[in-house]
Amino acid sequence: MKRKRLKSTLIHIPILVMFIFLALVMLIPIIWLLLGAFKPDAEIIAYPPTFFPAEFTLKNFTKCMQRIDILQYMKNSIIFSVGTTIPALLVNTLAGYAFARYEFKGKNIIFVTFLATMMIPFQVIMIPEFLEIHMFGMYDTYWGLIIPKIASAYWIFMMRSAFAGLPKELEEAARIDGLSEFGIYSRIMLPLIKPALVTMIILGINGNWNDLLWPLIMTSTSQMRTLANGLAMFVGVRTIEYGAAFAGASISLIPMLLMYIFGQKYFVEGQATSGLKG
Amino acid sequence: MNKFQNIRSYWNKPQHAAYLFILPAAILLVVFNVIPLLASFYISTLNMKISFDNATFVGLANYKEALTDARFLNSIKVTVLFTLIEVPIQMVMGLVMSALLTKNTFTNKLFRSIYFIPIICSATAIGIMFQIILHSNVGLITYWVRQLGLGKVNFLNTPGLTLGVVIAVSVWRTFGISTIILISAMQNVPSDYYEAAEIDGAGKIRQFFSITLPCIKPSFWFLLMTRIIGSMQVFDLIYTLTDGGPNFTTETLVAYVYTKAFDSGSRMGYATAMSEFLFVFIMIITLIQYYVMAKTED
Repeated sequence: MKRKRLKSTLIHIPILVMFIFLALVMLIPIIWLLLGAFKPDAEIIAYPPTFFPAEFTLKNFTKCMQRIDILQYMKNSIIFSVGTTIPALLVNTLAGYAFARYEFKGKNIIFVTFLATMMIPFQVIMIPEFLEIHMFGMYDTYWGLIIPKIASAYWIFMMRSAFAGLPKELEEAARIDGLSEFGIYSRIMLPLIKPALVTMIILGINGNWNDLLWPLIMTSTSQMRTLANGLAMFVGVRTIEYGAAFAGASISLIPMLLMYIFGQKYFVEGQATSGLKG
Repeated sequence: MNKFQNIRSYWNKPQHAAYLFILPAAILLVVFNVIPLLASFYISTLNMKISFDNATFVGLANYKEALTDARFLNSIKVTVLFTLIEVPIQMVMGLVMSALLTKNTFTNKLFRSIYFIPIICSATAIGIMFQIILHSNVGLITYWVRQLGLGKVNFLNTPGLTLGVVIAVSVWRTFGISTIILISAMQNVPSDYYEAAEIDGAGKIRQFFSITLPCIKPSFWFLLMTRIIGSMQVFDLIYTLTDGGPNFTTETLVAYVYTKAFDSGSRMGYATAMSEFLFVFIMIITLIQYYVMAKTED
């Protein structure tokens, strides 16, 4: 017995070492970026490179603000990510609710058609969408950024599964009480799927906040750029302003890191139940 | 009863209300997904710049041109290479990590949440971070590699090596998702299967291959297909890390399509025609996925 336990700890130690090594591999680049935002430029380009700053400075942040309109980018990122997620919550839960709770003519064919839109790779429709948004006169506006991103077959599918598990009696009791169909949805059923709604809000905000290609295509002026595409355009592939780039990247990362720390459960559950995204 | 009340009670019947509930989503999906898809086939037969002005019909000329365009063929090669290397590494790592981290202990949860962190970071931030950490002179990793006596490596500017670096960063970024998905599949395997195997004297490794793997097959297949589709569409990491360089050795299909459509000398029709190749690839993979999934469910 003793020998067996010894053997199992002997196996566990290298595994644990590997876990810790991998955790360092994951964390070091991120921590290095965040710390780098506080290093003076001379230290960033010094050889050999340092990990912890020898000298703390906030100059990178002021420099970043001088070089690009980072506050405007931040505002645009918030408007785009929150402004898309809130209407998306309404539109996709409504459709998901109908597919989960109602019987109606053509239900299956409509549902399959909805699902089929998930298979369309975005890169195939990005050029027609760009032209479409141009024709609607919504190019380089918040409307053009937000409206095409609201409906999503993926979220309709997820919301359908969330609603499908609720008991039928609740709905019928509310109907007898004289509640309208919209009332049953909004007052009785919607509050019951709160965890699914929180997951959708968190993943929706995170996804749009980080989205690079869409705002790259749909905006042209500096006034309309989001953090993701504004910073990418500022930095390019061969940046020389490391300090400002670090500061900007940190500003874009910190809200998401905070959201992850407080809403980790929803991130993980959202990915685990779906496996569809990314 | 006035007319207004009639309309209201008609639309308040469940079988009618359903249409009102799906209407907003249906309109948006048709306008921003279905119509653009149909339009893409038409646009791919046009010769056009950034707007519809002066667009001329050229038939299948764009497709023919693509098949002789060395840069397009190269971008397909890069995309296929990226997918063939990235996806297996990702899947094997996901499998190993999820097998080791299945139990919900405190340390396992801690490691899982650490491995998941890069997924919430934007490609832009990841691009900035790795551009400098891999910098040819002042990069931290470059310095460490040099300390190990492996010489001065220019990670982001060496044809042949740079694609490998992009793949490594991509695995770094997303293997957490694969791990999480496989963990939730493994946790759903009934524990009495393992108890029975334990009694039969099967070891942990034997259990993994004869119980765990067959049980998580549907999730594994599903994940594999979505990873393949995702890898074939890789764009943002390329854009922020290498922009296709050096010498187009990391230029993927989508990166080339983007450049052709939106950079100077824009050719929207040609770019759309190239993107249709991606559409066909992805359709084929999706069909295989449905076929295999239908088969495993039987």
